[in-house]
Amino acid sequence: MQNENAALAIDGGDLALGAGLLALIRPALDLLEPGGVLAVNSVNQALRDDLPRWCQLQHHEYRERQKTDQDYDRHLIARGSLSVPLGERESGITLPQHEGHISAEDVLNSIPMPEHADPTSGFAPRGARVEPGGPRYPFSLLDREHVAPPEVAKLYDQAIAAQWNANTDIPWDKTPKLPDAIERALGQVFTFLAENELSALYLPSKFISRIHPSYVETAMFLSTQMADEARHIDVFLKRARAGGGGLGVSSATTSQSLLSLLELEDFTEAAFLLSVLGEGTFLDLLTFIEDHAPDEVTAEVVRRARNDEARHVHFGLVHVRHALVHDESLYSRLEAAVRRRAATLSNVGGAPEPLQDGLTVLAAGSTTAKAIGRGHDAFRELLHTMHESRVKRLEHAGFTVEQAQTLSDLHTPNFM
Amino acid sequence: MSDETILLGAVAYDAKVVTIWEGIRDHFNQNGAPMDFVLFSNYERQVELLLKGHIDVAWNTPLAHVRVQQQTDNRSISLGTRDSDQDFHSRVVVRNDSGIESIKDLEGKTLAVGSRDSTQARILPLHFLRAEGVELTKVNLLKFDTDVGKHGDTGTSEIDVLEAVADGRAQAGTVGDLIWVNEQSAGHVDANLIRSLWTTPPFDHCMFDVLPDLDAGKIERFKKALFGMTWDVPEHRRLLELEGLKVWMPPREDGYNSLRDALASPTP
Repeated sequence: MQNENAALAIDGGDLALGAGLLALIRPALDLLEPGGVLAVNSVNQALRDDLPRWCQLQHHEYRERQKTDQDYDRHLIARGSLSVPLGERESGITLPQHEGHISAEDVLNSIPMPEHADPTSGFAPRGARVEPGGPRYPFSLLDREHVAPPEVAKLYDQAIAAQWNANTDIPWDKTPKLPDAIERALGQVFTFLAENELSALYLPSKFISRIHPSYVETAMFLSTQMADEARHIDVFLKRARAGGGGLGVSSATTSQSLLSLLELEDFTEAAFLLSVLGEGTFLDLLTFIEDHAPDEVTAEVVRRARNDEARHVHFGLVHVRHALVHDESLYSRLEAAVRRRAATLSNVGGAPEPLQDGLTVLAAGSTTAKAIGRGHDAFRELLHTMHESRVKRLEHAGFTVEQAQTLSDLHTPNFM
Repeated sequence: MSDETILLGAVAYDAKVVTIWEGIRDHFNQNGAPMDFVLFSNYERQVELLLKGHIDVAWNTPLAHVRVQQQTDNRSISLGTRDSDQDFHSRVVVRNDSGIESIKDLEGKTLAVGSRDSTQARILPLHFLRAEGVELTKVNLLKFDTDVGKHGDTGTSEIDVLEAVADGRAQAGTVGDLIWVNEQSAGHVDANLIRSLWTTPPFDHCMFDVLPDLDAGKIERFKKALFGMTWDVPEHRRLLELEGLKVWMPPREDGYNSLRDALASPTP
């Protein structure tokens, strides 16, 4: 064989250029560096003209056609230097399995995220070789430390495993007939919860399209967060109506508070205000509702929602903690964001009144004066608990005790 | 509009021509070569207005290029061409069941040919076949005179030729090898049905033409901006892909000799 000039050889048989031969030639050339030579053995005589022209159009160099002692042509093609993908082809990566499972965490460990990402790589998955010359994408979240905490894939795995069904996983058939005042209080509380969860559905969606696909696990986690919120909205509205209570009032102060969340443009600030402060505060609210639930359907709805919210809070915490470690200016930016929001909400004196009343009646369990007095005490206790937990959570995120106190005091009285 | 602005003419053979020249105009304007363009519906008008000095540069097919040279006594100046314009060939493709084994066998058969002003699909393949001794009067020509005035740019008549051969209206056909290779690469050609029988000698395709008295500064600025386009710059690459090239090349004239001969003694 005259193989001394070629790094690779393929047998094209009698295939014409348009009969599938290119599916052999192109992958073979892809294995070569620019200048590397491929030999194409063929008995198809039309290739004598077709291959040189194809090479010219593709900017490969057609070197020559050699006659062989057998009855076939040997075409030599040197790979051209245009459109060569950057980087090395992935090889040697076999994903580990645990009891037949392949987790996102294992994938992340095998193909680590780059510290910085290139917006001209578009939607190329991490690890793919990227042909140069692609357009610049409008991704603005391009730094690992601001986008993707190391725990993100693990949290995604947990989120996927914890999905549940709003139709079938709640014992709807056990919805009781409650006194009207309790039903109306439930309707009001779930109206408020659904309204807040709508904001928690919309806010992350703003950022997914800004995240560079090299950090796709963060986008994947946020998509589970959005699926969680969609389910919560679904079950909250169902519970409000399942017993005939119906929806209550949407307060202007709630609306104002949620708009100030929706208008956030910085991903870390949003994660902090929504997940650490807002959803964190919601954990205590959901616990309160479960503790005072008048029926097992209500208790199951808020229990399941709280499990999901805890995951969102966890992601928010690790996100902010990771970013704080890598960015010394972040604390002051977060404090400024909290202060800006507090300033726009300075007219909001406390939790929305319809909600206060709903929670009080719920905790009272009836509308006798004595019960309502107990309910009111429970509500005041809730506000205290929320503040205490927020401070702990903030310390956990990496703030000092003083910083944590300041930020918690500034947090919206709307809870979210 | 200042006198500095280079006015370029191109033929609007497809909607993408607007995108191409708006993009190239922007590139020229950003690179020290103020430029604007005029679109014509046919090459005859474009050549006429170049010769009258109404436009500075014409982006010409080989047929328009040779006509400009003939009408300026070979004094016109060529500025550049595409890599894909060089060493163009035409092909005679045949049905595998046609019994045609050599070009001489075309006599007595039906040969589909492209538009009468298409260099690659009609003028040169017939010219070269005649030069090889094929008696064209004995060949039944199935002519697809579509998009006349566009000099074959649209490729419509070549697609017509391939369809006529594929569905049996013709036993053979003539097309340019750009269409032939691209249609094969795209999987549009049934290799069980059609094959390439013969390849013509090489010839060259499009060229930027200017009159000999055009301002030298305009010529220099044009060339500098044109050859400054590179494949690895995304904005350039998009335009280059649309215009069907990877690299702009300096001009050469030998590639048009066969067309000059063909025009001197026309075939059917």
